[in-house]
Amino acid sequence: MRDDIGQGKIILPAKITRDSVINIRALLSHPMLTGMSRDQAGIPIPAYFVNEVEVTYGGERVAHFEWTSGISRDPFVGFSLRATKEAPIAVTWRDNKGGVYTHSADVKFTTTTAQATR
Amino acid sequence: MPDSVSRRTFLKSSALALAALAASAGTAAAAPLLRGPDNEPDDEVKKVLREKFGARTIREGHVTLDVPDVAPDSREVPLLIESDLPMTADDYVKGFHIVVDHNPDIYLAGFNFTAAIGAATLDTRIKMRRSSHIRIIAETSKGELWSASRFVYTSLNGCV
Repeated sequence: MRDDIGQGKIILPAKITRDSVINIRALLSHPMLTGMSRDQAGIPIPAYFVNEVEVTYGGERVAHFEWTSGISRDPFVGFSLRATKEAPIAVTWRDNKGGVYTHSADVKFTTTTAQATR
Repeated sequence: MPDSVSRRTFLKSSALALAALAASAGTAAAAPLLRGPDNEPDDEVKKVLREKFGARTIREGHVTLDVPDVAPDSREVPLLIESDLPMTADDYVKGFHIVVDHNPDIYLAGFNFTAAIGAATLDTRIKMRRSSHIRIIAETSKGELWSASRFVYTSLNGCV
């Protein structure tokens, strides 16, 4: 089995201004096995996949996803979020074997002249 | 270099053929070529939709699904979903549901949102067992259901 399972990252835009809608990309290393394939010896490979994903922003739940093994290996998801505060965005993935993986990134506002005039 | 000339001629003619194909796909008569079989869900898919949404009406519109017509790799079919429905505190897109007619799990995934996300967009990659309709159903906080569907051609079974 791969040894990178559970590694991941949350990618935020380089520049974030207050109240803008930003794109968030969340990536996890996970095999996402359907349980329908076999190894070279013909032995079925058991299902092993992320079935629940939760997104929090400053501790508040803003989104949650229900997955099957139909989501591709090393699952990627991109979605929007309105950046209303400087706070961490945390994504937690849970798989069918009890694995729980959390990764986060901090929303920090870019200080610009436009920002200063607000 | 006669070889490169013939190759160039070939590429040019095939590019023209592709352009003609793409152009004809825009017309209603030639549409089935790229639109695939009948858009009507079969009984199994209908059953899944009924289990998930009950007797509520699913209307077409307000959702766009961007996906290749032919998926180069059926293990990783990229989906881009967007909606022009309102995204306010009391009227927002509560979720996107992904249904793939010919996959082992017909109901592939549900993405649930709150009004805090600000815009209903979703970008992900899915597996496909074979050529199939992909249906996206957007559910609003008021309980309305809006959908978009696309037929995607694949070659190998990507459900590994």
